Amino acid sequence: MSERVREALYHALLWLVALVFFAPVFWIALSSFKTAPQILAVPPILFFRPTFANYARLFAEPAFQHHFFDSVALSVLAVLIAVAVSFLAAFAFSRFRPGATNFLMFLLLSIRMLPGSAAILPVYLMYVAFGWKDSFLGMTLFYAMFSIPFSVWILKGFIDGVSPRFDETGIVNGASWFSIITRLTLPQVFPGVVAALIFNFIFVWNEFLFNYIIGGINTSNIPVMLATGLSNGGGIDWTFLSSLTTVYILPPILMVYCFQRYLLVGMTFGTVRGEV
Amino acid sequence: MSHIRFEGVSKTYRGAIALDRIDLDVEPAGLTVFSGPPGSGKSVLMRILIGLETPSAGRIFFDGQDITHVAAAERTIGYVPQSFALFPHMSVFDNIAYPMALQGVPRAEITARVDQAAGMLRIRPLLAKRPSELSGGEKQRAAIARGILKNADIFILDDPLVGLDFKLRESLMEDLKDMRAEIGATFLYITSDPLEALTMAEHLVVMDGGRLVEAGPVDAMYYEPSRLRTAELVGFPRCNILPGHLDAPSLMCTTAIGTLRIALEDGAVSTDAMVAIRPEDIAPAVSGAAPLGVGEVALVENLGSEAIVYVRFGKTTLVTTIPAQATAHVDLGDAFPFVVRRGGPIVFARASGRRMGRAIGMTAEMRNG
Repeated sequence: MSERVREALYHALLWLVALVFFAPVFWIALSSFKTAPQILAVPPILFFRPTFANYARLFAEPAFQHHFFDSVALSVLAVLIAVAVSFLAAFAFSRFRPGATNFLMFLLLSIRMLPGSAAILPVYLMYVAFGWKDSFLGMTLFYAMFSIPFSVWILKGFIDGVSPRFDETGIVNGASWFSIITRLTLPQVFPGVVAALIFNFIFVWNEFLFNYIIGGINTSNIPVMLATGLSNGGGIDWTFLSSLTTVYILPPILMVYCFQRYLLVGMTFGTVRGEV
Repeated sequence: MSHIRFEGVSKTYRGAIALDRIDLDVEPAGLTVFSGPPGSGKSVLMRILIGLETPSAGRIFFDGQDITHVAAAERTIGYVPQSFALFPHMSVFDNIAYPMALQGVPRAEITARVDQAAGMLRIRPLLAKRPSELSGGEKQRAAIARGILKNADIFILDDPLVGLDFKLRESLMEDLKDMRAEIGATFLYITSDPLEALTMAEHLVVMDGGRLVEAGPVDAMYYEPSRLRTAELVGFPRCNILPGHLDAPSLMCTTAIGTLRIALEDGAVSTDAMVAIRPEDIAPAVSGAAPLGVGEVALVENLGSEAIVYVRFGKTTLVTTIPAQATAHVDLGDAFPFVVRRGGPIVFARASGRRMGRAIGMTAEMRNG
């Protein structure tokens, strides 16, 4: 078998696997432009006149507006807090190497090794005791806390790659540490910061369990809305579900599409930084 | 011109001694090279001078003024770190302007002074470029320009040529020497490469194991080292170091290649001696003349204009240099009759490394080696 045929077969196989995995997404996105009978028709209708009525209904729905705003606000705020804190922590770990740095780094990551279901009960009790349950600030801080370990790992990898000679040049010329961090280091690890932002945004945007347990009517995000608020008199409201799902999956897809080159360097902890 | 003086400067890291009581005066307005193997303490000493580290003991003076605890930014030192450390996300202009921008100098003044420095260093057309677009020499000039604009009268270059290819290093070394003459500032240059040290230095400071071995004009350090370690560390190819036994009454020093007649200098005499012979002081014996000994060629390294020949003589391997055209007559395993230049070998005390004297002649025993 020639090299070209083998390559073509290999690509065909990849496309097939990709299509199988993409089929449910395609089905739900297509359904969002159908009427309810069209969605439920057997065999499925592939050619139809698209309707935007589902979207008009979705955007007019106060519950959607509320949950969508909560999702966006929680994700953006938590991720910004997490990345800001993580960047400073990663800089300190990288440059000042406090005692037991390696152990602390392991300890940080070990938080993420714990399954969510194992942590949910103590977190729930803690949040009830503090009166933070269903508080926007409490939910934001929880997501920030959960995003910090991974961000520290990503960012430390990047900051380690920036020569300390740059810091020293700053010090010799009278720069403060704040100036060194923001003017000299940050611009050089920008791809890492973007990667950390995207990874954490996707995590928070998709999070269901903790939002369901320690959140509430004031802080519910779209995953909770999808799971709990779609039954329509005993049946599933497919038109609403398909349009909501499509709107819900768009922001992460757009982010990944726009910043895919940063994701690559993020996944490799900066080891292929030159690709950006 | 800043006169730098180190007084008893020591540095320890968690009990490990990195610098041990350094006393040194650095010649103003010259190019002083700090040389020594990795871990010898030269970089630590420079970091203390820059203000990036504080000494565990001792003091540093600039023109008689104690600056030991003065902040790095307030010392008039331009620092050119390894690989120049030009900020990759800034243009050459912004890199050069960085010290002034930090001091809040008005933009118009920054532009004028950057332009002046860039003109002096011939990098004016490069100001809009990013460092990644510059050649090695251009980067070096940009880094120096950044130092000049800090109003520095001392520049510290920390192994700036490490990792660069040979040709580029050669041209950068020339460039740097010219630039120093142009600026007229004191340049301190750190390297662990003995060849680079010799090429660059007007004054040489040799360090080893956190101690100052010797300091002085480069020629004196090469031809008249007063310490055995200086003879070992300065020079390329490496100096031949042979153990010897000095008979004090007769002033004869016996070595593996023969016996030397020694002219003693001041100081104590030790019978346990080490003899240093520069490669160029060992030469092939001309035909007809009696050789000191006859060795066997073990290896020939051709450097272009000359070749390094490793000659096995008994259990000793001697290093010598010959003109490259002479290598046509030298093959591995060939007999290599050699002589030692009169007055070349220097004798040191083995234990203290202190110089005792110089060989002033070869005795009959030596010729028969």
